[in-house]
Parts: sequence; structure tokens; C-alpha cells
Amino acid sequence: MQKFQRIRWFVFLVLVQVLVLNYVHINHYATPLFYIYFILKVDSDIGRKNLMLWAFALGLCVDVFSNTPGMNAAASVLLAFCRPLLLRSQILRGSPDVFEPGIRAMGFSHFLRYAFIGTLVHVGMLDVLDAFSFVHMRALLFAVVSDVLMTLFCIVCVELVRRRK
Amino acid sequence: MRNLLDFLLKYNYFLLFVLLEVICFILLFRFNSYQGSVFFTSANAVAGKVCELSSGIARYWGLEEVNRRLTARNVELELEVEALRRAVDGYAQDSTVARHLLDRAYDNYHVYPARVVNNSIARLNNYMTLDKGSDDGIRPEMGVVCGNGVVGIIYMTGPHHSIVLPVLNPKSSISCKIRRTEYFGFLKWEGGNPQYAYVKDMPRHSEFMLGDTIVTSGHSAVFPEGIPVGTVDDMVDSHDGLSYLLRVKLFTDFARLTDVMVITSVRKEERTSLEDRVEF
Repeated sequence: MQKFQRIRWFVFLVLVQVLVLNYVHINHYATPLFYIYFILKVDSDIGRKNLMLWAFALGLCVDVFSNTPGMNAAASVLLAFCRPLLLRSQILRGSPDVFEPGIRAMGFSHFLRYAFIGTLVHVGMLDVLDAFSFVHMRALLFAVVSDVLMTLFCIVCVELVRRRK
Repeated sequence: MRNLLDFLLKYNYFLLFVLLEVICFILLFRFNSYQGSVFFTSANAVAGKVCELSSGIARYWGLEEVNRRLTARNVELELEVEALRRAVDGYAQDSTVARHLLDRAYDNYHVYPARVVNNSIARLNNYMTLDKGSDDGIRPEMGVVCGNGVVGIIYMTGPHHSIVLPVLNPKSSISCKIRRTEYFGFLKWEGGNPQYAYVKDMPRHSEFMLGDTIVTSGHSAVFPEGIPVGTVDDMVDSHDGLSYLLRVKLFTDFARLTDVMVITSVRKEERTSLEDRVEF
């Protein structure tokens, strides 16, 4: 992704998240947190620190609109911190050095595993920070599972559509 | 020492990670404890404007329904005013006394109309953004009501926007009472369904029936007495067994709130300063 295109994606994903997706619930659960698609898709050669700063800015922008200063930012930075590890664990041996993580470059099952673990890290952190206690354990687990499934569903759909182009 | 420096230089991305997370947590905890951090919320100028634009578009889709409800409410109030006027006429021999009483009931309160531009109901800590701020005379700790009932309390204000701590936030606590029998408790919401909240600390000897109306008590300076809150839906013993816990079906439908009123007592300052002087 070029710099300009990256900024365009950034603005687009923040607006879609805060104006549409934040209001999507199924029985008060299952909110898609689709904006992390940005962090998952950045080219593999980006520096770890660079990516963390991007993730911090992205999370903070979403936070500002949803009155949760620091929450989405903390979860996004954690995801950005973990991403190189995840990517290395799901990489194929013959793949090129620099690539854009996706179904095309990694294959469906590897990308799905990569996206699933990434989403789980992000949503887990976010929901734990939101609840800030383990008293209602069942509700918390249910929130994590439903949010992960919803987010993963959105990511895979968009990825399949974009691959066909 | 040299080893330590080498170590820090090698793993400097880890330091950046810790630094960013610390910033996030500072923001998070400051927002929850300190009321001045309006900049990083949707009451700041840019975010407020975007929310306003988006809710302006969304509002059009509900206009028909809003109109219908307003008309229904209008007719209801019209009938109530008529009935009350007749009742007052019956009691007072002198009509000027009645008029004087009616005028005085609203003299003590200022009302500012405002619009909801951003709202959440599905999280645990819900907040709401209004399109009026400190430049319009809104101050923290003013009450917010809508046509059906109580909404919340102003939490913090920017120049043109303000954030409301609605009933649907565990931090909110509003003093209320049963309209029929005057026993009072306080209103709390603990997550889950946004249509139901709980009244706590209702004494064991209090009298109530399912279906009784709960209204604000007027014991705090925020809300005047008698603003409707909801109806008693269910009752259980509190955890310590010393009082009742009433489940209340709220009159306010937070999922479709668009127009609200910010209400404040003219004599609030006098009253709070008097209450502050009492040492607890």
C-alpha cells in the first residue's frame, strides 16, 4: 500500500466504524470492529514501531467518536505489537519477503488463522477493558466470542470480494 | 550499565509499546475520574460536527414517527391540562390565586432544548452527546429530560457540545420515589437490557404494587419533583436482605432519543452551597 492510499483507507475505515458499524448489534452483542482490517493488511515490511504508531492513531480516532478514550487505542497497539509474530507463524516457506497479507498472498486457511488470532487478541483486550472486571464472566466471554465472529465475518467477506477484482 | 543500554536499544520497540499502552490507560482512567478531559471525547469540535452531520441525515428517516408521537403526546397533555384546570377552578374561589400558583410552578426552572447527536445503549458505560454546550448556558450536573421521562445528567461540557451521563450508565444514580406512596430510593442501571433499571434501597416496610409509577423525588437539586421515570415491573429482595430492589420499566426509549431538554433550577446554587456547608 502506498502512503496516500494508506491514509485514504485510514479515514474511510474510521468513518465506516464510527458512523455505521458502532451501531450494529445483535441483541446488544456482536459489534463488528472492522477497522482493524487496516492493521492486518499493512505491508509485511513495515517497521514494528511504525505500525504501532499507526495503530495508536487509528484506535484513538475511533475512541474520540465513541467516548471511550484509550480503550480502542490500547487494543489496537497490542494487536500491532503482536502482528509480526502472528505473520511469521502463518507465513509459507516459499513466499516473497514483502507482501500484503491477504488470501491472495497467504492462501485461505493461513489468512483465516492469522485474522482469527489477530481479531481475538484485539477484541479480547477491548472487551476486558470495557467490562473492567471478571465478575460477569459469562457475559464477557459471550461478548468476546460474538464480536470475534462478527468481525471475522466482515474481514473475510471484504477480503473475498477484493480478491476477485 | 552498558549491557542495560544495549538491551534497551535492541528492544526499543518494546519500550514504545509500553509507552503507547501507558498513554492509552492514562486517557482511559482520566476520562473516568477527572471531568475536564473533554478534548478526547465526541464533545470536541471536529468529532461533534461529524456526529451532528450524520445524525442530521439519520433524523429525517424517523420524522414521520416522531410527528405521530408528538401529536399523541400533545393530545394527552391537552386533556390533562383541561382536567387540571377544572380541578384547580373547583378548589380556588379566586381565579387569580390559581393563576399565581400555576405560574409559580415553572418560575424556578430554566429549560434549554437540545438535540442528541451521538448515543450508545449497548455498552456497559454508555454516554450521549448533545448539540448544546457551555456557550449556550449548559453546565455540568444539570438534569436532562425528554417528553416521556428522565434521561440523565450533564457530565461534561465543551463550548458547543456536551456529554450526558444517561440513566444507562452504572455511574449514574438518581433519587426517585413511588408517586402513590412517596417512599423513595435511588435509580441504578447495571448493564443488560436498556429498557429496565433498578430502584435500590426501598425500605422493607414500604408499600407499592406492581405497575406503580416511579417519579423523581426532588431531593437532589438536579431534577424537579415528579418527572416520570418508569413503572414497577418486578421486585426482589436486595442482596443484604435489608431492603427491596424494584425492577423498573423505563418510560424513556433510549434507542430512539432525538430531542431532549436540559433543565436547571434557578435556586440550585443557593441550595447546593447550603447543603455543602453541612458537615457529614
